[in-house]
Amino acid sequence: MMRCLRLALLTMLLVLGVQTNAFAMTFEETPYFSDLVKAGKIDPVARRVPQQPRIIDLAKIGREPGVHGGKLRMLMGSKKDVRMMVYYGYSRLVGYDLNYKLQPDILASYEVEDGRIFTLHLRPGHRWSDGAPLTAEDFRFAFEDVMLNKKLARGGLPNSMLVNGKGPKFTVIDELTVRYEWDAPNPQFLPALAAPLPLYLTYPSTYMKQFHADFIGKQAAEALAKERKYKHWRAMFIRLGRQNRPENPDLPTLEPWFNTIAPPSEQFVFKRNPYFHRVDSNGRQLPYIDTVEMNISSPNLIPAKTGAGESDLQGRYVSFEDYTFLKQSEKRQGYNVLLWKSAVGSKVAIRPNLNFKDDAWRAVMQDARFRQALSLGIDRHEINMVTFFGLGQEVADSPLMQSPLFDEEYASAWASHDPVLANRLLDQVGLTKRDDDGTRLLPDGRRAELIIETAGESTVETDVLQLITDHWQALGLKVFTRATQRDIFRSRLKAGNTMMSVWSGLDNAIPQPSMSPEELAPSNDSQTQWPQWGLYGMTDGKSGTEPDLASARRLLSMWQEWQQSRDDETRERIWNDMLKLYTSEVFSIGTVNSTLQPIVVSKKLHNVPKEEVYSFQPGSYFGVFMVDTFWFQDGLGSD
Amino acid sequence: MKMTSPLPPPGKEMGHYVSEAPFDVMSIEKISPEQEKIYLAPQWKLMWWKFRQHRIAVWCGVFLAILYATIFISEFLAPYNIQTRNVDHIYSPPQQVHLFHEGEFVGPFVYRQQYKLNMETLKREYTKDTSKVDKIRFFCTGDTYHWWGLVEMETHLFCPANGGELFLLGTDRLGRDMFSRIMGGARISLTIGLLGVMVSFVLGIVIGGMAGYYGGWVDMVVQRMIEVLQSLPSIPLWLALAAIMPVTWSPLVVYFGITVILGLLDWTGLARAVRSKLFSLREEDYVMAAQLMGAKPSRIISLHLVPGFMSHLIATATIAIPTMILGETALSFLGLGLRPPITSWGVLLIEAQNINVVALYPWLMLPVVPVVLVILAFNFLGDGLRDAADPYK
Amino acid sequence: MLRYIAWRITVMVPTLLMISALVFTIIELPPGDYFESYVAELQAQGENVDLKAIEALKVQYGFDKPPVERYFHWVWGMLHGDFGYSFEYELPVTDVVGDRLWLTMLVSFVTIIFTWLVAFPIGIYSATHQYSWGDYGLTFVGLLGLATPNFLLALVFLYLANLWFGTSIGHLMDAQYFNEPMSWAKAKSIMEHLIIPVIIIGTAGTAGMIRRIRANLLDELQKQYVITARAKGLHPFKALMKYPLRMSMNFFISDIGSILPAIISGAEITAIVLSLETTGPLLIRALQAQDMYLAGSFLMFLAGLSVIGVLISDFALALLDPRIRLQGAHTK
Repeated sequence: MMRCLRLALLTMLLVLGVQTNAFAMTFEETPYFSDLVKAGKIDPVARRVPQQPRIIDLAKIGREPGVHGGKLRMLMGSKKDVRMMVYYGYSRLVGYDLNYKLQPDILASYEVEDGRIFTLHLRPGHRWSDGAPLTAEDFRFAFEDVMLNKKLARGGLPNSMLVNGKGPKFTVIDELTVRYEWDAPNPQFLPALAAPLPLYLTYPSTYMKQFHADFIGKQAAEALAKERKYKHWRAMFIRLGRQNRPENPDLPTLEPWFNTIAPPSEQFVFKRNPYFHRVDSNGRQLPYIDTVEMNISSPNLIPAKTGAGESDLQGRYVSFEDYTFLKQSEKRQGYNVLLWKSAVGSKVAIRPNLNFKDDAWRAVMQDARFRQALSLGIDRHEINMVTFFGLGQEVADSPLMQSPLFDEEYASAWASHDPVLANRLLDQVGLTKRDDDGTRLLPDGRRAELIIETAGESTVETDVLQLITDHWQALGLKVFTRATQRDIFRSRLKAGNTMMSVWSGLDNAIPQPSMSPEELAPSNDSQTQWPQWGLYGMTDGKSGTEPDLASARRLLSMWQEWQQSRDDETRERIWNDMLKLYTSEVFSIGTVNSTLQPIVVSKKLHNVPKEEVYSFQPGSYFGVFMVDTFWFQDGLGSD
Repeated sequence: MKMTSPLPPPGKEMGHYVSEAPFDVMSIEKISPEQEKIYLAPQWKLMWWKFRQHRIAVWCGVFLAILYATIFISEFLAPYNIQTRNVDHIYSPPQQVHLFHEGEFVGPFVYRQQYKLNMETLKREYTKDTSKVDKIRFFCTGDTYHWWGLVEMETHLFCPANGGELFLLGTDRLGRDMFSRIMGGARISLTIGLLGVMVSFVLGIVIGGMAGYYGGWVDMVVQRMIEVLQSLPSIPLWLALAAIMPVTWSPLVVYFGITVILGLLDWTGLARAVRSKLFSLREEDYVMAAQLMGAKPSRIISLHLVPGFMSHLIATATIAIPTMILGETALSFLGLGLRPPITSWGVLLIEAQNINVVALYPWLMLPVVPVVLVILAFNFLGDGLRDAADPYK
Repeated sequence: MLRYIAWRITVMVPTLLMISALVFTIIELPPGDYFESYVAELQAQGENVDLKAIEALKVQYGFDKPPVERYFHWVWGMLHGDFGYSFEYELPVTDVVGDRLWLTMLVSFVTIIFTWLVAFPIGIYSATHQYSWGDYGLTFVGLLGLATPNFLLALVFLYLANLWFGTSIGHLMDAQYFNEPMSWAKAKSIMEHLIIPVIIIGTAGTAGMIRRIRANLLDELQKQYVITARAKGLHPFKALMKYPLRMSMNFFISDIGSILPAIISGAEITAIVLSLETTGPLLIRALQAQDMYLAGSFLMFLAGLSVIGVLISDFALALLDPRIRLQGAHTK
C-alpha cells in the first residue's frame, strides 16, 4: 500500500517536475539589462520571462547555443521596410517550425476540435514589452473593441476569420484561455496566425485603451487626436496600433526587438524586448543580439554598400546578379556569401490574361492547347544557362522539391522544349494561316502579335523575355514587350487591357497541405492571369465575372472545398488535384525555379543556416529560421 | 574748284554745282584685291572666315558630320547586329587587335578566347588562346540585316573570322557585341536631339517672334507663359508627360513622343532670346521702311528680322542639342522614355548603371565615351558658330 | 518705379494661380491615384489588402470628390499655411520636408560656391586668351563635367572613393551619425561625404557659367572704354577687373531667378543615385507614388520661389539699368 502511494507520489512529482522544469532552470542574466536590474528598475530575468517560457533546444536542431551581445546592421531600401522586423522576428501565436509544420509559439498550447473550435492557452506570466501582462483581456479587446468596431474596422472581419460569411463566437474561458468557435471548419485560421503578415488576435489593451473613444470618451479622443495631428481618433488609433509596421516606438510588442525611432528617419534602431518569451536551453533569454540597426538607403546602392561590408545580414535588395561582386569582396570585408534557394514557383513566369478585352485573342488564349504550345516553345535550358549559370531547375510553375507536394508530373508538365509539337498544337487551335514573313494569323486575319507587359523592374525579366521572343518566333508568333510602371501595370491588368504579363510564379512554392491553395484558384483580383475571375472568387460572386472555363470553375470549387476541409488528408488530396489541373492547363507559363539567392552574413554571426530556402510565404524570409537565435562571436558585432 | 561766289540772299535757292569731269570712284582710296574680297564679301563668307578661326569648332563640325553620315550605314559598319546574342560569350572583355603573331606580320587579327566558369565566384573567365589566330575579314558576309528596313543585305565592313568571334569592345550580359550596339544606338541618340531641337526651334521662333514684334499684351501673356514653364522643375513635367504615353504605342511612336516632349519643354530659352533680339531690332530703320512700304508683320518678321539673327539662333540651337541627348538619358534613368529592346546610348548606359558593371565589367560603360564626345563636339561647334554669328562686330 | 513694382506684384498672383493649376493637373495626369499605387504595392508584397478600408481612406481624404473641388481645397489650404498631408509618410508635408531642407541648402550652397570658384578663372582666362590652346583646354575641362551623365559618374566615384579612401558609400554622413546631434565628428563626416556630390553637380553647372562669363566679357572687352583705359596706361589686370568684369556681372543678377528654386531641390537624379538626404529624391518619389499633397505643395513652393526670384532679379536689373525699365508697347 505504502509502496503504491510512494510510487504514485514519485510519478506525480516526476510529472510535476517535468512540467515545472522551467522553475528548476537557472537563468543567466542578460548583460544588457544587468545595470537596470541592479538599480531595481527592471525585474531580474527569472521574473521577466513567462513562468513557462518556450525553450529552444538549439543542439537538437543542429545549432550552437550562443552568447548575448552585439548590434546587427541591415540595409533596407525604403522607410516602409520597418515591417521587415516583424517578418524577421517571427513571434507568432502559432508559427511554422523548420519543417513548416504548425507549432505553438507565443501560445503555450492550443486545441482544435472538429476543425472549427480553437481553444488557445496563454503562458502564465507572459508580459508585453512594456511590462503589462498578456491576458485574455487583450484578446477580448482586440475582438470586440477593434475587429467588431464598425468605426475602426470598416471592412469587417478579415477573410481568415469568416466561414460562410460569419465570424466566430468568441469566449473568454479564464484569464489565460480563450476560444474561437465557428459553425463549420476553418482551415485558414491557423495558417493565418502563422503567416509572415499574421492575423493579429491580440492588442496591447492597457496601452491602446488610452486612445479608444469607447474608453476615454469621444471628446477626449478627438482632442487627443488633434493634439497629435491626426484627423480623427480612428486614424490615430489605427496608426498608433499598427503592429505589422512598428513605426510607433511606444507600442508594446511581443516580438524579440522593438523600434525606438519614429519616422521619418534614415535609420531605425530596434532594441531587445526584456519580456520576450523564448529562452535557450542554457537559461539565456532570447534574443542573443542586443540591437538591430536598420539603415535606409537607395535600393540601387545596397549591393555596393553590402560589398563594402556595411551589412551583417542581408537578403533583401541583393540578387543573383550581384553574387560575383559580393563574392569577390568577401575577403576584403568580413562577411560570407551564402547561396539559398529562392522559393517561388518560377523566377520568371508569363501569364496570358484570360480576361483580355479583345474577343478573338481571348478565345485563343482560353484554349488550353495555345498555352501548352507556348510552354513547349520555350527553350528553358538556354534560359537556365544564360541567366542562371545552369544552376536552376527547368520546370513548370510548380512547387519546389523541398515541398511535400512536389511531384515530377507537375514540374515537367508541358515543360520540355518541343517546337514541333508546339507548332502542331497551334495549328490545331486554328492559327493555320500565315503572313508573308511567317507570322501566324488569327482567324479574323490579324497578325498573331503578342504584347507582353512587365512592371519593368528587373533586368532578369527583360533578358528572359528577350530569349523567349526568339523562341516563339520559331512558332510563328511575334512578341513585343512593353515596360511600364508598377501601378500602371496593375491598373491596366484590372481593366482588361493587358494581353499577357510577366511576374514571378507561385508565391508559396514550398506549400504544405495545411496551407491555403488560393494561388491555384481564381481567388484574388491581383492574379494576373484572371483578374476578373479572381475578383469573383474574392468577393464570393458579388463582383467580377464568373469563370468561363470549366477548369477554372473547377479550381474555384476545389479551393472552396479546401476551405471546408477537416483534416490534412483531405487537404492533401485537394492540393494534388488542384496542382494536377493547374499545371496541365498551364495557366501560368513557368521557366526556371530553384534559382539562387545570395545571403550576405557577417563572419562573426553564428547560427545562420548555410543552405536553406528563402521565401516570403511561408518562410517569412529569415523568420522561420529564428533570427533571435543568431548570435555574434564573443557577443561583439562587426563594429 | 573753289567756291568763290558769295552766299545767295536769304530765301533764295543755293547754287548747285556738279562737276562734269570723269571720276573714278576707286581713285580716292584704292583698295587692294585682298581688301576687295573682304569688303565686298557676302555675310555667309564673313561668317565662315570668322568660324575658321575657331579651329576646334571646325574639327568638331567635321567629326559630327562624319558621325551623322555613319548613321546611314551603321549596320554595315558594325560586325554584328544589335540583337545578335552569343550565349557562349557572355560578359566577354574587349579583345585586343594584334598585327604580329610570333614575330610575323599577319594582318589585323584577334586571338580566340577560351571560356571557363569559375565555380567559386560564378564568374566567367576568358583567356586568350595564343595558338588560334582569328583573322579579321573585310567586306565580308555576316549577319543579315535590313538596310533601313527595306533591303536585305549581308555585307559588313569587317567581321570576325569564320568560327571565331570579334568583340572589339566586349559583350554584355546576353553576349551581344558592345561595338555593334553602340553603333546601332547612335541612330536614335543622335537624331532624338535634332528632332527635339527642331520642335523647340519652331515654337521658340513663332512664339518669341510674336511677343517681340507685337509687344503689349501679347508680350505679357507670352512672358507669363515662359515664366510659368520655367519655374516648374523640368523633371516633374517629364515624369507627368511620359507617364501618360500609352503603353501600346510602338517603340518608334514612343520615340517621337519623347522628342516632342523634350522639345515642348525647351522652347522657352529660345523664345526669350528671339524676343529680346526683336525688341532691339524692330526699332531699326529698315523695319520702318518695310512697314511704310506696306509689308505684313509676318513678312517683316520672317524675311527681315529673323535672318538678321538666324546665325545666333543656330548657335543657340546647337548648344541645345546636347541638353536633349542628356535629357534622353535622364528620362531613361527615371524609367521613362526609351526602354529595351530599343537601343540607344541612354538605354545602354542604364543597363550599365549598377555596381557589378563598375566593379567587374567596366567596358559596359563605354557608351559614355561617344555621349561625351558628341556633347563636347556640339558645344564647341556652337561656340564657334556663335562667335562667328555676328561678323560685323 | 513704384508703379512698376506694384504692377509686377499684381501680375504675380495670376501667374501663381496658373502654376498651381498646372501643378495639380500634372500630378493628376498619370492614370490612377495614390491609393491605387498603395494597393498595388501592398499586393506586390503579398499583403492582403482590405479594399473596403482603402475606400474608407479615400473618403477620409476627400478623394471621392471631383478634381476641381479637391483643387480648391488644396489651394485654400496653402493660402492658410496648411500644405496638406503626405499619404506615403502619413505626416504633415511640412514635417516630411522640413528635416531635409537644411541639408539640401547646405549641398546647394557649397555647390554654387564651388561652381563659381571653378568657372570664374576659366571664364576670364578664356575671354582674354581667345583661341589659344589654354582657352581650348580649360573649356574642355569645364565642358567635361556637363557632358558626362551624372548618374554613371556618381556610381563610379562612390565605388572608387570606397576602394581607395574607405568612404562609406552614399548618403551625406556615416551611418552612426544619422540620429545624433551635431558634433565635430559628424561635421567632418558630412564634409567628407559632400565632396562627391559637389563635384558631380558642380561640374555640370560650370560649363554654362564659363560660357556666359566668356561671352559677356568678350562683348565688354571690345568696347571703346577698354581701349581708352589701356591707352591711358591702366594696368591690364585692373583694366580687366575694374570695369569690364563688373559690367558683365549683369547675368548674375538675372540668374537669381533660377538659382533660388535650384537651391531647394537641385540635382534630383544625382541625389537619388547617391542616396542623399535632400529634397530632390523626396520629390521624385512623391511624384511617382502620386502623393498628391507632398508633391503638389513642394512643387508650388519651388515655383513660388522661382517667381519671386525672377521678380527680385527683374527689380535689381531695373535698378541697375535704366534702359530695361523702358520697355513699352510697340507703337505703329
